[in-house]
Amino acid sequence: MMRSGSQKLLPALGFLTVTCDPDQGLFGGYLVLNLLGRPLEFHCTAPVRPNRAQAILYGPSLDPYLCGERIGHTLLEKGRVSPRLVFTDRLPVMAARPLVATSLVLVCGAASQTFAGDGEASVAATGTAETAADERAASARTELPGLLLERFALGAYQLGVLAAHPDDRAQVAEYWPHFADQIALEEPFGRIREAIDEARSGAA
Amino acid sequence: MAGKKVVMPEPVVCHAWDLSIPVHTFATGWLTAVRRPTPVVTTSATLDVPRPAVLSVRIRPLPVATRSYTFPELPVGRQPAPGGAATPRAQVPPAARRTCTRIEPPRDIVKLQDRLYYLLQPPLESLVSSGQLALPAQPFPYQYQGIAFLYPRYAAILADEMGLGKTMQAITAARLLLRSGEIRSVLLICPKPLVSTWQREFAQWAPELPVSAIEGDQGRRHWQWQQTNPPVKIANYELLLRDADVLRSSAVHFDLVVLDEAQRIKNHASSTSQIVRAIRRGRSWALTGTPIENSSDDLVAIFEFLQPGYLQPSMRSRRIGQAARDYVLRRTKDAVLKDLPPKLFRDANLDLTPEQEHAYRQAEERGIIQLSALGEALTIQHVFELVLRLKQICNFDPLTGASSKLERLEADLDEVAASGKKAIVFSQWVQTIAALRKPLARFRPLEYHGRIPSPQRDGVIARFRDDAARPLLMMSYGAGSVGLNLQFCSYVFLFDRWWNPAVEDQAINRAHRIGAVGPVTVTRMLTLNTIEQRIEQVLEEKRQLAARVFSETGEPDSLGLTQQDIFGLFNLAAPAAGKRAA
Repeated sequence: MMRSGSQKLLPALGFLTVTCDPDQGLFGGYLVLNLLGRPLEFHCTAPVRPNRAQAILYGPSLDPYLCGERIGHTLLEKGRVSPRLVFTDRLPVMAARPLVATSLVLVCGAASQTFAGDGEASVAATGTAETAADERAASARTELPGLLLERFALGAYQLGVLAAHPDDRAQVAEYWPHFADQIALEEPFGRIREAIDEARSGAA
Repeated sequence: MAGKKVVMPEPVVCHAWDLSIPVHTFATGWLTAVRRPTPVVTTSATLDVPRPAVLSVRIRPLPVATRSYTFPELPVGRQPAPGGAATPRAQVPPAARRTCTRIEPPRDIVKLQDRLYYLLQPPLESLVSSGQLALPAQPFPYQYQGIAFLYPRYAAILADEMGLGKTMQAITAARLLLRSGEIRSVLLICPKPLVSTWQREFAQWAPELPVSAIEGDQGRRHWQWQQTNPPVKIANYELLLRDADVLRSSAVHFDLVVLDEAQRIKNHASSTSQIVRAIRRGRSWALTGTPIENSSDDLVAIFEFLQPGYLQPSMRSRRIGQAARDYVLRRTKDAVLKDLPPKLFRDANLDLTPEQEHAYRQAEERGIIQLSALGEALTIQHVFELVLRLKQICNFDPLTGASSKLERLEADLDEVAASGKKAIVFSQWVQTIAALRKPLARFRPLEYHGRIPSPQRDGVIARFRDDAARPLLMMSYGAGSVGLNLQFCSYVFLFDRWWNPAVEDQAINRAHRIGAVGPVTVTRMLTLNTIEQRIEQVLEEKRQLAARVFSETGEPDSLGLTQQDIFGLFNLAAPAAGKRAA
């Protein structure tokens, strides 16, 4: 499924992330910003929680399935504006890339950080002692089944694109000068998490 | 397996022996039996294993429910060019880039879409660092918080202590709203002497915004009121009274009205307060360093402008503090400006000169006798007259001009002038300033009070700032306590004490504010065993009032200087207690 006809291609950037609540499950949030960093659209999901059978049968592919194919893909399809690039800070979300036409880029962290670390981080493994920040950092570092990443440094950031979509790297490099001074790539994810919390408290 | 048993023949062992014994064979019939095949009988048995049952688990795609919100794009023409800046950009230190001040929606914004609109705005620091919001200087973190506080609010009081930059915070918040298209017109109301200050501040902090001051004859002012441009108008409180008819008409509307020195409307029934409340507007902000000067009623009166009926005078101060919490932002220098030079208080508790002592005791005794003789005819005005008379004697002996305060002041000023520093002397009375003129002539003092025409006042401040040979400025509390930036001044002398500690604080903070390069020494002059000392005790109680309301820690014992307080200065009984006197 690619971009629908109603979507407008504007000079905008998308930011997509998934947060994990031990009690309720996974919440997805998708924020579209103009190149000045101001919000144009925000989409979020109701909590998504796999049942026991799904958790067992999907095994290690559960996170990419939930975060990428279900939540990420659904949110990207909801956007009215089709941004030039979509960034995520969660590796499993990259599983949405084969399903959409928009370039999807993983923000791994600052360029000074290394990609060391082979530990497995599961967004579905709720209730662990791991903090959300640790989990995100681990998630950004780790490889998951079927998601072979090509990692590279750009500006102050370490980024990653799916090896199966090498053109994404060229796309982000080409568009980088248009927003590099305006938007700190890790910052909008904080906005999304706060907005998700606000939407949850509003719905409660 | 079942069947007949098969008997196998024993193996034949052959040996060759040459025995030479003749052998004869004969048929026995056994060979046929050997050649006959052995019959094999088989039987089959079935394994009794049940057929396995198959359970199919159907994995359905997890449903994902979504909610979507869209936000308006900036109007065309209001979008700053990325990376562009109309004015020099403040250098953002790395620490400031790491801090992240985001706009938080106030509690009275209920609709989730509106709350998310504010929550999802970029951090203010990023607007500055990216050049979208060009500022001449890097704001302090608490100033970012103040801007983020004002921006989403339709009713707000920025009640920072004097000198923390309320002006800059209000201008920047209004500027952001204008640029986002959320508002199109702003009316700033301030005391008359501060109009030019606000014009300068707008030119500094929002140079792209056209600003006009409402002034001139009536015809010109009416024309100005009804113009939609420029987007920012500045008017003074005094002028509102003359233009009340225009302001009450439906033709005049502002998206944002900002009251500077909002304590000017603390009297709910005053004409100024009524006219301000009558102005049609969308948002209402109040700026004041002293939201409570005398009693919590002051805050209630300001809320009548912000949110009519939200607070009631009958509410207890703790309840007022709780109700006002989401509308009021107050920071003190001690809390937010760790790097600001210290403010050093020196209490100059002086004995009266013999001449003053004689005149004072005589005046006090006669005064009390006269007040007592008035009986039921005694009013607070009678008491006030005596208080003022005694306070004036504390400054100067009326016959000889002797003054212990002057002696101390001269000694201190010699030291100030010798060190190349500058000093301000505050007094309640213009007459006192006039009396100081001659004995302090060697310091070539400048004067700033109600008798100095407004057009000349900016020049007085400029000379005081720029002329090293003019180290002394004498000011009245009324004219010089608000809005002026005198942070180049190191010494403040309170020659006599005002009724209200908030006014004294404002006066002191002309010098002790952002930009102060060294400690500010405040000398509070007080004559012992006089009315000044008794008033000081009352002032000290009032000084704690605002903190009590905002900290919600308890019920104040005393709210303001009541008639009871005034009469109590002379151990007189008030004929009708309870009304506020100051």
